[in-house]
Amino acid sequence: MADATASEVRLPPQPRAARSGRLPRGRPDRLRRKEAAVGFLLVLPVLITTTLFFFGPMVFSLYWSFTNYNGLTAPQWVGLQNYADLLGDPLFLTACRNTLVFALVTMSIGPALGLGSALLLNRPLRGRALFRGAYFVPVTTSLIVVATIWKMLLNDQGLVNQILSVFSIPGHDWLTDPSTALFAVCAASIWQGFGFETVIFLAALQTVPRDLLEAAEVDGAGVLRRFWHISLPALRPTILFVSVVGVIGAFQVFDQVFVMTQGGPLESTTTVVYYLVNRFRALDLGHASATAYLLVVVLAVASAAQMRLGRSKP
Amino acid sequence: MTWRRAGLYAALVVTSVAMLVPFFWTLSTSLKRPEDVFAPGQWLIPKPLSLQGYRDVFTLLPFPRYFMNSVIVTVAIVALNVVFDTAAAYAFAKLRFPGRSVIFGLLLLTLMIPMQVNLIPLYRLMVWFHGFLPWFGIDTLAGIVAPSAVQVFGIFLMRQYFAAIPDSIIEAARLDGAGELTLLRRVVLPISLPGVATLTIFTALSAWNDFLWPLLVSSSDASRTLPVGLALLSRKNTVNWADTMAGAVVTAIPMILAFVLLQRRFIEGLAAGAVKDT
Repeated sequence: MADATASEVRLPPQPRAARSGRLPRGRPDRLRRKEAAVGFLLVLPVLITTTLFFFGPMVFSLYWSFTNYNGLTAPQWVGLQNYADLLGDPLFLTACRNTLVFALVTMSIGPALGLGSALLLNRPLRGRALFRGAYFVPVTTSLIVVATIWKMLLNDQGLVNQILSVFSIPGHDWLTDPSTALFAVCAASIWQGFGFETVIFLAALQTVPRDLLEAAEVDGAGVLRRFWHISLPALRPTILFVSVVGVIGAFQVFDQVFVMTQGGPLESTTTVVYYLVNRFRALDLGHASATAYLLVVVLAVASAAQMRLGRSKP
Repeated sequence: MTWRRAGLYAALVVTSVAMLVPFFWTLSTSLKRPEDVFAPGQWLIPKPLSLQGYRDVFTLLPFPRYFMNSVIVTVAIVALNVVFDTAAAYAFAKLRFPGRSVIFGLLLLTLMIPMQVNLIPLYRLMVWFHGFLPWFGIDTLAGIVAPSAVQVFGIFLMRQYFAAIPDSIIEAARLDGAGELTLLRRVVLPISLPGVATLTIFTALSAWNDFLWPLLVSSSDASRTLPVGLALLSRKNTVNWADTMAGAVVTAIPMILAFVLLQRRFIEGLAAGAVKDT
């Protein structure tokens, strides 16, 4: 090999312990040091970037969450005041409520559609890749594009109302009515995302024991019973995974709101991250940082609770 | 064909078409004259066809700039990740060095914490960098790229591929006198090409579609990417839908084309990327 140094070439072949073993006996110190040096060199870039762009910022935002920092003058320590302010701010509480509704709606309908379409696709079919592709294309599309498209479709004169008028259902201005705007945002998000869950469930369905399903069929169990008693239990880890990942994503919803409703009408679609970005833009970095840390805590608790719930059932 | 089978196909066809209708509608709206957008009788193929939306987007609006910025940012992020993620992954999978498991555990932590926590300090950091490096920091493409230049998820993904390579192959190459970097380039990477393909697709898709960070860090058209430019247009322009939809088509087409061409790789890549998709 071209890069080999002369000293390495001259090294006599010698039996060595398996590399998975802890101590490679008989390996010269010089080589071991060289391996360590190369290894350290190779992970150095990620160490630098994560320190600079992740761990460092994390420490700063924790500190700023206890100060009145505005990005211009030196931050002053205010203790837990920012957190107390947030919990007393009606807009923040509205944002929490909206985010929770968004998460509940998208996370109950999205995975259900994903599982349903995966069950439809999970059999020998002509053009299976084509159908799967149709469900999946929106996943590859930017949320901004999706939000833009749905903003048009849900417009006063848009396609949705045009279709409704064919069935003589009166149209509605979905995005400017505070009682429907949040659900319109949910609809766009579900359309964009459930193809992802389809693919995950489709992969998981391959692991459901086929002989068990056949035995149950021979014993006269119907489709529903086979699904309930055999497929569903086998899918439990996947359902847990999809819901943990989905809830984490749902709590960070921002892009769709930014384009479709800008948090309105009447703050009916202001989400936690939208609130955070607004505080940030108003140079209220203390409250913005406290919002971010509250989000982290809530997500950690939610994920832990889901794992617990997911593992405890039989 | 039994009735049940016919019903199954009918359900699949109807739902698939329903999924695609918004895309058709977007394309058709982008080809309408602005005044025809909500006109009756303009269902699927507009009459007359008009390229006015695309003309506006490419001449009146800075979409050529946005497009170039998106291409540069995406190519840079993919290239940096392929190099640095695979290098670090190789070290974690096959090399022994002090602190390996501690560092690995720390990196695991970065996957569990939402990026909004770092947003504000990251922005301040970019302001600071821009103070003495005019090409870096806020309102620069390098500032958009930097936080995504090395992604922990990519390291985890590649590590899985590398861990599956038998140590005997690596030992044999070492005994033949290969240095570690030669080994990585000539032996390990060629075996792991499917992993590199997955990494490329995953980072390209997330870089192309990324929004929040590019939105915050860019303050002029010089550094705005397509999603940022489209979002601003979409918020501002509620009158001329043909233009907005032309912008949406331009933003979406590259990834949809890539998906149509590489469907299987895409789906495998995103399923593998599931852990990070938050």
